[in-house]
Amino acid sequence: MADRRLHEFVRALRGAGVRVSPTEAEEAFRAAALIGYHPRDQFRETLALTLVKSQLERPDFDACFEAFFHFESAEDDDTGEARADDDALSPQPGEGLSEQAAELVGQDAGQLEQTLARTAGEMDFTDMEVITQQGLYARRLLMNMGMGAVDDDILRLDASSRGADQRRAGALREWRQQVRELAVRHVRRQFNLHGRAHGRALREHTMRAAPFRELREFQQVQTLVRRMARRLASLHQRRQRKAKRGALDARRTLASSLRYNAVPVQLHWRQKRRLKSKVVVICDVSSSVRDAARFLLQFLYAMTDVLPRVRSFAFAARFDEVTEDFDRYPPDVAVGRILDRVSGSGTDYGTMFEEFVALCGSDIDRNTTVIILGDARNNDLPAGEQHLAEVSRRAKQVFWLNPEPPARWNSGDAIMARYQPYCRAARRCASLNDLSRFTDYLLKSV
Amino acid sequence: MKTRIDSLDDVITSFAGQGYICDQRTALAVYLAAQLHKPVLVEGPPGVGKTELAKAASAFLEAPLIRLQCYEGLDESRALYEWKYGKQLLYTQLLRDKLSGMLAETESLEQSMERLGDLGDAFYSETFLEPRPLLRALRADEPVVLLIDEIDKADQEFEAFLLELLSDFQISIPELGTVRARHQPLVFLTSNDQRELSDALKRRCLHLYIPYPDAALERRILAERVPELGDQLRDQLVAFIQHLREQDMKKLPAISETLDWARALVLLHADTLDPDLVEQTLALVLKNEQDVALARDLLPHWFRKPRSA
Repeated sequence: MADRRLHEFVRALRGAGVRVSPTEAEEAFRAAALIGYHPRDQFRETLALTLVKSQLERPDFDACFEAFFHFESAEDDDTGEARADDDALSPQPGEGLSEQAAELVGQDAGQLEQTLARTAGEMDFTDMEVITQQGLYARRLLMNMGMGAVDDDILRLDASSRGADQRRAGALREWRQQVRELAVRHVRRQFNLHGRAHGRALREHTMRAAPFRELREFQQVQTLVRRMARRLASLHQRRQRKAKRGALDARRTLASSLRYNAVPVQLHWRQKRRLKSKVVVICDVSSSVRDAARFLLQFLYAMTDVLPRVRSFAFAARFDEVTEDFDRYPPDVAVGRILDRVSGSGTDYGTMFEEFVALCGSDIDRNTTVIILGDARNNDLPAGEQHLAEVSRRAKQVFWLNPEPPARWNSGDAIMARYQPYCRAARRCASLNDLSRFTDYLLKSV
Repeated sequence: MKTRIDSLDDVITSFAGQGYICDQRTALAVYLAAQLHKPVLVEGPPGVGKTELAKAASAFLEAPLIRLQCYEGLDESRALYEWKYGKQLLYTQLLRDKLSGMLAETESLEQSMERLGDLGDAFYSETFLEPRPLLRALRADEPVVLLIDEIDKADQEFEAFLLELLSDFQISIPELGTVRARHQPLVFLTSNDQRELSDALKRRCLHLYIPYPDAALERRILAERVPELGDQLRDQLVAFIQHLREQDMKKLPAISETLDWARALVLLHADTLDPDLVEQTLALVLKNEQDVALARDLLPHWFRKPRSA
């Protein structure tokens, strides 16, 4: 049983967002077998050593451990709640009942709790997906405990014509109610561990595909964004070296030439880290695009390992550099500050590009990637695409992200068609999935 | 190497005997690593004794310590093995002289080839192999403790190259085949979190995070390492350092800095902390100009209010 409990714990951990591979799980079982379950601290640290591979995941692990090994803890449990029930859950006299029922009703609160935990330990709660299933699972738990015998006895006593039996039935019914509540509480705890994991996977799936505008309703979105960004960053870390260019590594070449009778057959080059590219982001933060801008910036700034040089600009009514805000404040705060500064209506892409070229045109070189996020709704003002052409000529590449579906890129006052020729690619970017795909593409091409 | 570790307490006692005071978690990691034959990845801020842990483990297990310091550009010819090219070259010359004599009697080219084929292939052989730390650890006659220090400074490629060593304790040398460990070494990897290590590497290791010590542990460490320091001064010092660590500093003071400071105070015959003394010796604790300025601003406030333990 111990092994199964641990298996379930691993599943619960995965549900809580900690990545655990099968080999790691096996390692944890071996370690636990070696160390044992007591003292509890030691057991916890053993599992942590084998299952948690990053300090960032430690709080998730601790929370999960506390919730999961709740019943196993030496001194039970929600002290206040459980103690209050003590009176009501006093053992009932067992005479006149069937053997199984008598054994159950004779238990005191602590024993009952243990029976419950033991029975629950033999059941599989991992399939529980929605909270409404908890009644069903509680009933199953009670049946597995042998409460069926008690039910039968209550029915039998009810049917009896003797007054004493009727009163007995009433008392037993009350007792049964208490046990039921206990069971429900236990099942709910299981749901919090396992059911939540399913719900969470589902929610994440939804969040990834949901339009940015609706994302604010999800609380977990920040965590998800951070995790997606970290994942991407670590994927791309290894693409930073270039070989076979640069200066000759005389020492290594000489050393390796020795094996060919001092003929330098193999040349070795000093490997140099590729110059990390610069990324310049220009975000439209007028109300229609604001949500997308927030997530794009958050994503890019989470990539500092891979993209150390990001400069960002925001514009709506005004145009301004916002790099500092993101360096200094967490994304949420930064976005708020930026909006205060530049918000307003009437985006003018033409003037914005002109100002941009004037402000940092000289800073754009062939290592620079320019990303523009906006809906290209220019309020019927002059397009000024010659300025974008200038940017495109100087930069390595220009990308355009548009939160609207391509069919609407040129409808109304939108003029994507005027700008698109100067962009290496124009993509739709309306959800975290789009964003993650674009960032992946970006990291491959910078 | 000790073949068996009796218990967890065994580890703690022995470590304490060497002056390495650790919490239970750290001892547990060493115990599990030795029992399960798994490498330990030790992470934590600089100066909390990650490298010391490997040394203490080596002394405890009575096994020699082999250390590989990682840096950017470290490759297998420096970490694993290298051929002794000079000797190989001499060998070919030697061979040429001998061969002309040996092959003189042969009549046809085929015959010469055959004879050449019969010769032992000594060019790529153990004789000419120059073992570097990793190979030394695998081929040692007794189990060793292998410390791969600051793995985060090495390149990603090197990390991938280590995977075979970490999971199976073997390494492939193209010219020779697979080299298995004669005795499984106990491997420690340390990282300062300069970059995220790959999942594959983490999966193969136990993960131990050593944080800055809490006040109680730090007092014990000080008592052990700098016994000359008075009780009262020790408490003051630890309280002050702990206070510094709560600040928003560029580089927080680590245990090594606490120890340096304590030794300096002993040399100065100080028996209590006062603002002047702290001000003069602050450079031992804080290594950044801005941090020093920040700490200086804290001083008056810290010494004004009387402090209980």
